[in-house]
Amino acid sequence: MTNKTPFSLEGKHILVTGASSGIGLSICRAIAASGGKVTGTARRSELLDNMVRELGRNRASFIEADLSLDAGIEKVTAAVPEINGLVYAAGISKLVPLKFIKRQQLEEIMNINYFSMVLLLAQLVRQKKIVKNTYSSIVLISSVAQQIGTKSSLLYTGSKGAMSAAGRVMANELSLQKIRVNTIEPGMVQTAMASEMEDILSKETVEQDKRQYPLGYGTPEDVANAAVFLLSDASKWMTGRSLTLDGGRYSLLD
Amino acid sequence: MDKNQFLQSFAEQFDDVDPSSITTDTKFKDLEEWSSMVALMVIAMVDENYNKKITGADLREANTIGELYDRLNSRS
Repeated sequence: MTNKTPFSLEGKHILVTGASSGIGLSICRAIAASGGKVTGTARRSELLDNMVRELGRNRASFIEADLSLDAGIEKVTAAVPEINGLVYAAGISKLVPLKFIKRQQLEEIMNINYFSMVLLLAQLVRQKKIVKNTYSSIVLISSVAQQIGTKSSLLYTGSKGAMSAAGRVMANELSLQKIRVNTIEPGMVQTAMASEMEDILSKETVEQDKRQYPLGYGTPEDVANAAVFLLSDASKWMTGRSLTLDGGRYSLLD
Repeated sequence: MDKNQFLQSFAEQFDDVDPSSITTDTKFKDLEEWSSMVALMVIAMVDENYNKKITGADLREANTIGELYDRLNSRS
C-alpha cells in the first residue's frame, strides 16, 4: 500500500470558473496533473472543448455558461456534480482613472469579478453541492492590487478588495461544514489579459514595473501550483487567509 | 470630430500644463507631465466623447496631438 501525499488531488472533483484561458486554464491543467478531476466553466465553449481534449475526458469536463447572468449560475449549479472544491478565476480588468468612471463600467466589472462569485457560491452551498466535512476547499483568485492603490486600477482593485473581504466571511460561515475558503493574491502574471493592459501603457512603464519584481513577473503556472496546495488536504488547517504571490514585489525593499 | 474641440479636451487632461501652450503640433509624449496616468485619461476621454478606442499602437506611433487626431478621425 502506498501512502498518498496530502498534496495530491486524487479523489477530488474541482469546479474552475474562467477555465478557458489564462490562470483558470492553467489551474485546470494543474488539477489534472495532481490527480484530480476538473469541470471548467466559461463563456467560450470552443476553448473549453480544447481544454477537455487536452486533459482527457476521464479527467476533465466543461459547462458552457455566462456567469454574469443568473441563468448561467443556475446552469452551472444544476449541471455540476458534487464537488470537493472550487476555484473562482473568472475575472476582467479595465484601467480607468477615477474621474472617468461611470456606473456602467463599475457594474460590468463588479458583476463578473464579485457579484457572480458570491451568487455562484450562494447557490452551490444552498444546493449542497460542496461536500462537507472532508476539507473541501474554495480558492478565490483575488489580486495583490487589493493590498495597495495602483493608479487607474480602481474598477479592478475595488472588485478584488470586495472578493478578499467576502472570502473571510464565507470562510467563517462555511467552517461549520469544514469547508475552507482562501484567496490567492497574485501580482502581475503574464496572461492575455495582462498583455492587453500592457499594450496601452508605454514600454518604459512596463519595463520599469517589471524591474520592481525581484523574481520577475509571475506565470499562470505559479498561481496554479499555489491553487493546488490550497485545494489539497496539505492546507487543511488554513482558512480565511490569503496567499500573496508577487515575486517579492511588495515586501522586499532595497 | 472637431479638431479644436479634441485639442481642448486633450489639454484638459493635464493639471500643470498651460492649455494655451498646447497645439496640434505639440509632441505630447515629450511634455513633462505626460505619464501612463495621463495616457489613460486621454484614452477614457476619447472613449467618452467620441466612442472610439485609442490603441497602444496609436500612442506609440503618433508623435503630435494632430497625428493622434488624424489617426482617430480616419476611423469610422
